[in-house]
Amino acid sequence: MTFRPRYFLRRAADAMRRGPYVTAVGTGTIFVAVFVTGLFAGALGGAERLLAAWAGEVHLSVYLAPGADLEAARAAAARIAPGREVDAIPAVVALRRLAEGLGDDARLLDGVGPDALPDSVVVLAPGLSLAQARALAARLRQVPGAADVDFGNAWLEKLETFVARARAAAVVLLGALALATALLVSNTLRLAVFARRDEIEIMKLVGATDGFVGAPFLLEGLAQGLLGSSLAVLVLLAAHAAVAPRLRAAVKLAEGLRLADTLPWPLLGSLLAAGAAIGLLASALAILRFLKQRPSL
Amino acid sequence: MIQLFHVHKEYPGDGPALTDVTLEVEKGEFVFLTGPSGAGKSTLLRLIFCAEPATSGQLLLFGKNVAKIRAAAIPQVRRNIGFVFQDFKLLPDRTVAENVALPLEVRGLPDRDVKRKVKMLLRSVGLEHRADKFPPSLSGGEQQRVAVVRALAPDPALLLADEPTGNLDPDRTLEVMELLHGANARGTTVVVATHDRTLLERYKRRTVALERGRVASDGAEIRRAAGAP
Repeated sequence: MTFRPRYFLRRAADAMRRGPYVTAVGTGTIFVAVFVTGLFAGALGGAERLLAAWAGEVHLSVYLAPGADLEAARAAAARIAPGREVDAIPAVVALRRLAEGLGDDARLLDGVGPDALPDSVVVLAPGLSLAQARALAARLRQVPGAADVDFGNAWLEKLETFVARARAAAVVLLGALALATALLVSNTLRLAVFARRDEIEIMKLVGATDGFVGAPFLLEGLAQGLLGSSLAVLVLLAAHAAVAPRLRAAVKLAEGLRLADTLPWPLLGSLLAAGAAIGLLASALAILRFLKQRPSL
Repeated sequence: MIQLFHVHKEYPGDGPALTDVTLEVEKGEFVFLTGPSGAGKSTLLRLIFCAEPATSGQLLLFGKNVAKIRAAAIPQVRRNIGFVFQDFKLLPDRTVAENVALPLEVRGLPDRDVKRKVKMLLRSVGLEHRADKFPPSLSGGEQQRVAVVRALAPDPALLLADEPTGNLDPDRTLEVMELLHGANARGTTVVVATHDRTLLERYKRRTVALERGRVASDGAEIRRAAGAP
């Protein structure tokens, strides 16, 4: 094939200018696929960051039954979690801290007795994984007088399970999404190829090879892929800029959430590359199918 | 240049389009292929152009057996052949100059050389002032002149023309035929399929008549039988 990059680029640009509808549909399809993929990957990254942040400030609360010996419970907890900071929190202190936390709404606690909250023992254990925290919580249930042990496990366990399942599903889903997008864009480009069948026929009549005919189509697909994925990356960055501050304000754990946690540059680069690859694959499928169906040209 | 030996072509579901065609066209010849509609003229041109294979028999083009040419090598063969169609086959959304440039671009000529040659070719047929126009704005005669110029742009060894004057009035027909004869005078072998008897009578050239896919008569054979050189 005669390699003429400038000529091919010119032809591809001409074709995109003459067929804006096909260009828009191809670009839009790739945009949606890359955006959904990026959103999914970003959410996973964010969730993993939240889990890691939680692991940095694990504290387990052992709530005692009424009448239990607080000091004996603290000593037992210290034996179960050696080397960890263990505090005894009497009910009165717990109530005072709650009132401080409520701020102006503390008056809601007017009339609440000093024994409304149970005595508790708090174990600070930074750096534990969720599984380690779960094991430690099980041992702390042996503390004399323990009624319940809490480490924020209810929603964290759900989050951990979700992240694990989502990570597994992501590979399958994203693979299927990429294939579906390639086929969808390929069918769109087939329309473009079909609309230009006379041009292809005439080029073949004057001695053009399949490579010479196909190169502008491949560049067109590549350009649509890059355009669609670039738009998706820009929208993802804008979405992060809009959502992250609200998340940080709403969830204490998300305070340290940065762009590099949800949309790291390698991920953004991969999204751009994937969009380009999908566009290229789709256009290759479209032009090859057409040339295969018209062997007599 | 072109040699056919007992060539047979049949399309599935149809009768034979060509039957036992044996024919030879020498380098530098000008040959009319004639016969009524459906006689097999276009089919014969398509076989020579490597657009489809013969069902049986042998076709040699430039000394090579067409049946043995790999599909990937066909574009190379076609770069030695120009083709002119009755319906011009110009790209309507490209200018006259861009249409003429197409076979030169395919051959990888530098842009500057392509522009220079296109300008020279259009000037030679009096269409330089139409270079930036789009084909639909041209008359039929002008479009066919553009098509002929495009076919001749890369200086092909062989020019095939399928009813090139079928859509033209007598004056425009003469213009196009002059272009074809000019190319032949410069050494290009020309094969023209036509059912226009006035052309055959006006231009006393070798005429091969086809009827129902068979060679009914061949001017070369007749001349040889009459003892002509």
